[in-house]
Amino acid sequence: MVNYFKKKISLISFLFIPILYFWDPNWLEFLGVQPYWPLFWLLPWSMIYGSFDGLIIGLFLGLILDSLSPDGGFTQIPGLVLCGIWFGKLSISDNIFVGHCRFGLICSIASFFCGWLYFFQILIKYWSDHTIFLYLPSIKIIFAQVFITGLLAPLLCSLLFRLFQTSKRRDKLISFTDK
Amino acid sequence: MVDIRRISTNRWWHKKNNWGLFIFLSFLFFVRISKGSLYKDFYYLISKPFWPGQFQREILTNSVEQEFLLRLKQLQKDNTRLREILSLQRLSDSESISANVISRKTGSFWRQIILNKGAEDGVEIGSFVVGPGGLLGRVDNTSLFTSTVKLLTSPESKVGVWVERIQMHGLLVGSGNDYPKVIFYNKEIDIKVGDFVLSSPASTLLPPNIPIGIIQSVDEEVNAKKTANILLLGKPQAIDWVQILKVEI
Repeated sequence: MVNYFKKKISLISFLFIPILYFWDPNWLEFLGVQPYWPLFWLLPWSMIYGSFDGLIIGLFLGLILDSLSPDGGFTQIPGLVLCGIWFGKLSISDNIFVGHCRFGLICSIASFFCGWLYFFQILIKYWSDHTIFLYLPSIKIIFAQVFITGLLAPLLCSLLFRLFQTSKRRDKLISFTDK
Repeated sequence: MVDIRRISTNRWWHKKNNWGLFIFLSFLFFVRISKGSLYKDFYYLISKPFWPGQFQREILTNSVEQEFLLRLKQLQKDNTRLREILSLQRLSDSESISANVISRKTGSFWRQIILNKGAEDGVEIGSFVVGPGGLLGRVDNTSLFTSTVKLLTSPESKVGVWVERIQMHGLLVGSGNDYPKVIFYNKEIDIKVGDFVLSSPASTLLPPNIPIGIIQSVDEEVNAKKTANILLLGKPQAIDWVQILKVEI
């Protein structure tokens, strides 16, 4: 049972992303803004399993998170799918320090990209309405999210990366011994 | 050896009287530093039963409260009768539902709170949610045990409001931060900082006259529209308990 959990840790942890999304601990806020949680999971997972799996899991993540967010006709799917593809193409750095910093930088860029994609959707929907009010608060949200996501990414992504890598190795070893 | 023992027992800190004096001097020092606040508070407590006019003031206050209650009941009756004539929204006669905030998103694009009461407890989509201070938002969707409330600060939120002093209607629009905007479609309007904003008596979504906020600043007019920033009275980022109230359609 324990071995099964260790093997499937990546999938089990995936189920906890919505819980984290709901929990939103306010002691991790920066200017009242939370980090973009799904990226912390998506980045190490896609780096290990590749672009195609990144695309699929990005789609699943987007579908789940969209269903949890208020129904405003906006979606997080394009941002997460494109990030999943991009993350899958990235190689793993041998240098630990550089690897940590890379996690931070990549997550910051991805958070910026996803934030803008979402903001554009809002702008398009309210183009003729009161969009002028939305500019400054939305830009503040995007940049605060970029900062806090980049700050926490080295810690969380490296932790998850190690966990997923071990579970993948264990998975391969078990399938090899079965053969 | 005897001499040493005698000297040690004769030290000043071995005498109780000296310690008493030290404590007394410390007390005096404290009274001096605190400018007698301890004495003042003590005097306040012991003299309270003997203050002049205390009893008389209570009688007067009770009478005024009773008068206000009678007037309030009369006004409520009038209000209900008139709203029925005009076919406007009114509060349901059934009791409100108290709920606990179990999740909140008050600092992102999605501004919502999730409550621990859902469809099973009788919460309906469109019910409105008030907390200490005033209106917070409306129930956007419900699950069996939870309900999601779209906050007034959400960019999706649009609510008809009423400025009491000038008796003018406006549209409260969430702007993605903690200060939603009120749009007045009249550039001649005389709004001032500090004016109270309530839910509109003409609203078809909300019951009338629920406190919402105070006008914090007034913007320059654009395209014959005047806008103002609102400081909300209800703070969703700090509230843990709310009331869900049904609206009769």
